Order: sequence, then C-alpha cells, then structure tokens
Amino acid sequence: MTAVEAVALRRTYDLGRGRGGGQREVVALHALDFRVDEGTVHGLLGPNGAGKTTLCKILATVLLPTSGGVRVFGNDVVSRTRQVRQSVGVVFGGERGLYSRLTARQNLHYWCALYGLPRRALLARTEMLLARVGLSERSDEKVDGFSRGMKQRLHLARGLVGDPRLLLLDEPTTGMDPVAARDFRLLVAELRAEGRTILLTTHDMAEAEAVCDRVTLIDGGRALATEHPRALGALVSRNERIEFDSPTADALPGLPALPGVVAVTTLSPGRYRVETTATEATKAVIGLLLDRGATSLTTTRPGLEEVYLKLIGNRGMEVGR
Amino acid sequence: MTTVRTMHMAELVRAVRTFAASFRLQCLMMRRSPGDLAVLVTAPFFSLMFLSMTEQADRSALAPYAVAAPVLIAVWSMSLFVAGDLISKERGNGTLEGLVATPASLSVMVLGRICAAVTLSVFAFVETWLVAWLCFGVVVRLPHPLALLATLATTLLAMAGTATMMAAVFVLARSARIFQNTLSYPVYLLAGVLVPVSFLPGWLRPFTRVVFLSWCAGLLRDSLARPDIPDLPGRLTAVLVLGAAGFGAGRLLMRRVLWRVRVLGTLGQA
Repeated sequence: MTAVEAVALRRTYDLGRGRGGGQREVVALHALDFRVDEGTVHGLLGPNGAGKTTLCKILATVLLPTSGGVRVFGNDVVSRTRQVRQSVGVVFGGERGLYSRLTARQNLHYWCALYGLPRRALLARTEMLLARVGLSERSDEKVDGFSRGMKQRLHLARGLVGDPRLLLLDEPTTGMDPVAARDFRLLVAELRAEGRTILLTTHDMAEAEAVCDRVTLIDGGRALATEHPRALGALVSRNERIEFDSPTADALPGLPALPGVVAVTTLSPGRYRVETTATEATKAVIGLLLDRGATSLTTTRPGLEEVYLKLIGNRGMEVGR
Repeated sequence: MTTVRTMHMAELVRAVRTFAASFRLQCLMMRRSPGDLAVLVTAPFFSLMFLSMTEQADRSALAPYAVAAPVLIAVWSMSLFVAGDLISKERGNGTLEGLVATPASLSVMVLGRICAAVTLSVFAFVETWLVAWLCFGVVVRLPHPLALLATLATTLLAMAGTATMMAAVFVLARSARIFQNTLSYPVYLLAGVLVPVSFLPGWLRPFTRVVFLSWCAGLLRDSLARPDIPDLPGRLTAVLVLGAAGFGAGRLLMRRVLWRVRVLGTLGQA
C-alpha cells in the first residue's frame, strides 16, 4: 500500500506586494510528485529552502497545499484531516515544541491525552515511550534542564504517542551526540520492523544511507531523483572505483593504458583512485596494484554525499528559494 | 444509525479527555508560573478601594456590591489574560503546530485551559470577603449559598466559553496585549461590574443584555444582598445560553481561523 502520495503538489507563500505594487510569492513546492511505500523508511534530502519542511507540514496537516493533491494512507490531507491526524506522528526539528516548565512525563501525559488515550493506557504508553528513548531515569525532571539531545529524544517520544502508522521526522538527530544518533538509527530500524512508515528529512548523508530504504533528493521544490541510497550512485557514475595508497607513486605507470580504465585521479598526496568500466578491468587493476606494492586498497561506488553534491551542487552558504 | 451514535460518543469521550488534560496542564503551568496569578494580587486592592468608598459614604448596605465587583474583575481579567497569552505563548514555545497536528480539537483544549484559569480566579471571592471582614469589620453574609455557587459555576463556564472566542481571534491577530487592554473597561461598564446597569443611560441598557457578565453581576449581587432572588433559573439560563453562544461562535471562528492560517502558512509564526 502507498503511505504517502503527492501529485503535482504545489505550495507558495505570499510575500505581500513588492515595490512595483505586484504580488510577490515564493514557491516552496513546485508541482512535486512524490510517493512513499508503506513500511519503508524514506529519506528526504535537500539543502535549506528545498521544500522538505513544507512537505512535512502539509503531511502533518498544519499547512494546506496551494494546488495538487496529497493522500496519506488514501486519506486526502485537506478533506479528511482528522483521519490523517490519527495516523501521523510528527517530530519537528529544533529545541522548541515542548513544555519546558513541565517534566518529560507530564509532557507525554498531555500529548497522549490529546490522542484520546484513556488514563491507564496513557500511563502505560508514557512509561513505554520514556524507556524507549532512554529517558526513564530523567522523566521527573523539568525539560528546560535537558540537553539538546535529550530534548530531541523527548520530541521523538512525543511523535510516537499516537501510535502512528506514518512518522514524520524533520531532522531528528540535530544536536544528538554520536552515541545517541546511533541509538536513534536502531530505534528507526525497530519502528520499521513494527511496520511503521517513516519519512525522514536530513542533511546527514551517512544517516540517510544507514537507515533509508529509499531516498528522494529535493531541490527548489522539485524531486530530482528517488532511489535506493546505493542505487543513487549510478546517477553520478556507473564506473567501479579502486582507491589505494602508493606513497612513491610506483604503482601508477601504465595504469591509464589498461583496458577498461577510464580515469586515474589523485585524491590526496599518495592516495589515488582508478575508475573502470567493468569488473574484469577492476580485477586486472587490483592484481597489478598488489604486484606493485600498493596498500589500503578499497573498491567503492559514488556515495550519497557525492550524488547530493553532483545533483544539487555545492552552493556553500546560499539558501535555495 | 448505531454507528453514527457510537462515533458521536467516541468524539464526546475524546473531547472530555482533551478538556480534562488541558485543565490539568493549565493548573501545572500556573503552579510553575506564579506571575499568571497576578489578578489574585490585585483583587484585594480593588476590594479595599470599593469598600473604602462605601464605608466613607456610610453605605454599608452596598458592601456586597464592593465585594462582588473585584471578583468579576478578577474572572474577566484572568480569562482575557489567559485567552490572549495562551495562543501567543504556544506559538512562541513552538507547540502550536504540534497541538493542531493532533486529532484533538483546539477549541476544547483552549476551553479546558481557560476553565482552569478562571476557576483559580474565583479565589478572589475569598480574598475580597476576608478584606471586608478584616479591614472594615464588615461581614458579608451569604443568604443564598446554593444560588451563589450556581452563579459562580455558570459564570465560570460562560466566561470560558466567551474567552474561547477571543482566543480564536488571537490565532489570527498577534497583538493580543492591545486587545486585552482595550476590552477591559468597556466590558466592566456594560456588565455593570463597577456601576449597576440600572444607573447607566437608557440607550446603553439594551447592549448590556447581551453581555453575559451583566447577568452574572446582577445574580452575584442579589445572591449576597437580597432576601430573595427573582427568576434565578431564568437568569442562570441566560448566562449559560450567552456563554454557550460565545463558545459556539468561538468554535466556528477557530475552525475558520485555523483554515486561514493553514492557507497563509502563519500558524507557527511567533
């Protein structure tokens, strides 16, 4: 079943009248076609201003599309808002979004009640979620004393209070230390194993590669590509790659002339990469390199980060519109 | 038919849970933020002022009026303060979008929270009664305790219902403070809180009939001062009907306003 289906989804923001008197608007989503299969972890990657959060907000029903259609488990987000809200849990990024003067437990009690849970179920769900995100021992402390990472965990627990079929995670690991981020990935895997669908927006390529079944690259409100994270590499290059160390460059002579070798590049002093068009050529290159004493040999394909930079471009600090 | 009835019942149960949880949340928040209870600090001073005037004029019979007025001021101020601040604080806190994204009704959440706040404001009655006794030696008798309780209860409900309508306006408009300051004295006047409406110019009196607080003020004074209370059920019903109308209008307005801010994309903008 399809968990999320957006067809020609467009969202604009009115910026008021410009100096010339004309109406100004910014297009956040530009006729976006998008689909997430049920039970999968789908990553949404893109630079700032790409439209990721706008899409999440539309799916969370706090924002209406300007045109086009979006369905969550077959329910239209505009006409069947209540059904959508019952099936979706939202974790917006950042430190805000919690009652900082209350404890973690009091926060979760309230959010559980808003999903209509009876008292006993509410208490049990709260304890289960606190344990799940590792906050049981700090559950009676006020949230404003929490670290950023702890707040993110509580956000995650809050997103799960309604036992959602679809969980929207808008940059959920921001501020988490590496151990917490690893635990988060394990939790995402658990949630997936429970049959939940997860839509994850992130800038973290390693995270996307680690947890996502599919990834959509989005920029300027348009989906550039949707693929399995590893398959996305083929969009950049179909070549196989061998990377190796050769401090004195003894391994290099004659390499470019070998059949099937298309490029030899220097990655850093003493570190090189050879690209080949076929597995047979790769075998021949590896054999030669071993004979010539090359070390630290690895075969690779383009990673998600490379694909991201290739398709979206390296725009430095610039924010997309 | 049975399915529809079951659905309505489930909705009702959900609304009651939302109301109860929101009531509890507001109590917790106010406990952690004593500044929100400022009206309970000002009420005794209002009481002192009004009682000074009645005692100076040698009109002890008006003492119940001087006790009732600060209570109504406290209830109105508290509801106006909470209704105004609730939405802007949720916005600033980044929780408003999360609340709207739940299946619960925002109107019911607001109603529960305002109910909690105005319930706490009723302690102003105890304060003003004590001020009259301790500072002026005036014991305001309670000849109709049940009528008094019924009046206070209906006043709270009507107040919370009306404040829900104001909260809906604050979702759209972000200048709650101006609204709060502007609305206080005209309502005190039209409600007969400071001066009984019978003392107002004749052309103004019809307007006072649609201000639920004017019915509350009359009932509160009668339950403290008169040997009998004319048409108690009818007047209590008027308070409840006006309060329910306020809540109904608030719900409708909230739905429209939420739609509007979802179109504009301004829901989360503090």
